[in-house]
Amino acid sequence: MTGRWRALLRLLAVQGTWNYERMLGVSMGYAAEPLLEDLKTVDPVRHGEAVVRSTEFFNCNPNLAGLALGAMARAEYEAVPGEQIARLRTALCSPLGALGDELFWAGLVPALVGLALVAAVLGAGWWAIVGFIALYNLVRFGTALWALRTGFDAGMRVGSAISASWIPWAVARIGPLAGAGVGLAIPVVAGWYLRGFGWAGALGALAVTGVGAAVTRWFGPSLTSVRFTLLAMGLLLLFRWAGL
Amino acid sequence: MIEFAPPTVVLLVVWGTLVGLDLVSVPQAMISRPLVAGTVAGWLAGDVEAGLRVGVVLELFALDVLPIGAVRYPDYGPATVVAAALAAGAPWELGLGLSVGVALVLAILGGWSLQFVRRRNARAIQRRAAALAAGESGAIRRLQHWGLLRDALRGALLTGAGLAVVWSAARWLSLDRQTAVGLTLLAIGAGLSAAVGGAVRSAGRGARLKWLVAGLGAGTLMAVLR
Repeated sequence: MTGRWRALLRLLAVQGTWNYERMLGVSMGYAAEPLLEDLKTVDPVRHGEAVVRSTEFFNCNPNLAGLALGAMARAEYEAVPGEQIARLRTALCSPLGALGDELFWAGLVPALVGLALVAAVLGAGWWAIVGFIALYNLVRFGTALWALRTGFDAGMRVGSAISASWIPWAVARIGPLAGAGVGLAIPVVAGWYLRGFGWAGALGALAVTGVGAAVTRWFGPSLTSVRFTLLAMGLLLLFRWAGL
Repeated sequence: MIEFAPPTVVLLVVWGTLVGLDLVSVPQAMISRPLVAGTVAGWLAGDVEAGLRVGVVLELFALDVLPIGAVRYPDYGPATVVAAALAAGAPWELGLGLSVGVALVLAILGGWSLQFVRRRNARAIQRRAAALAAGESGAIRRLQHWGLLRDALRGALLTGAGLAVVWSAARWLSLDRQTAVGLTLLAIGAGLSAAVGGAVRSAGRGARLKWLVAGLGAGTLMAVLR
């Protein structure tokens, strides 16, 4: 297996040592190891410095980490001054975090989950689960492969490569798709659950939905949906215990 | 909760460990999504329907979470596995509410355990700071492997302890029919409110909001016509 493939596999665990000090830093160093192997024979001193740099603070969306990893490895081979590489590393954190989070966590995941929910409750069963996992991982691995290759090819010009790539285009379009997917799923799932309970039961559950959405929005982070649910369940059990 | 044979318990703990790892550490393939974790756990427990019902409602809660950066969020994976096992074998209308309640408590504990693992990772890195400063590849590898092991242990403990607690408390968890149905309706309503809240927050005021409204309209039509 070549260094790039090993690095790609190691990128799957790029949050393996996630912590509040270096964040992804040490795992980036772990993923960088196969990419920097050839540097050991060419310039052992530089290799040592590169390994140290690769484990320093870094944070971004894990699915786009390959862009930074490839760019920094290329810069090490091109003997770019260490301070410049460190600056590049710092500069990439925010854009790769923002783009990746928008594309994956706020876009692709809710879009596919919404569609999988609809398919599952309409009777697709396992196909919905398998389709969701397959589709997500196809996009995700394709992106990781592209990111590592693009980062390594672009080196210090990785910023321009990202701007000219498909990523900003996809980020602009995935949001509406996610909105539509989740929007479609909510009433379909509600109908699936509430059909057997009759009008009174369905109206009761939908009243909880309305109250929950209103109070969690009103009270913000101090009353999350989980806290609201546990509070309401506690009250229900208390009332039932009191014979009400 | 039905009685499980030891191999089934082992399989549930292994599955809980895998979904616990998947959330953050490796491979983030989305097997930790409640829809997936719950359906597979239901299948392992011998009741796919119960697993799917639990997974779908917990997925609604998970849609309210944006796992960005250092934010603290509930870990629904192992919690869903335990909830699916608890719901197995009972009519879903009676078992769903209680299972969701247990899952939400476990999910909060899972979120705390994630913080604990992150602090332990930081301490391990501090202990090996000199080796890292010297560029020792062996130290990087050891930190990575121990980090993964810590997270795997977290998932296994959450699932194992969760299963043990609900199994030993099962006789006190039996509810009368009216209360059980009430809890189920409450869980469904609250799950829907979590998904609505998350969707509205993510939508902002731009094109996404319009598409969300369009989706809601189309979904309502589908639900009515079905």
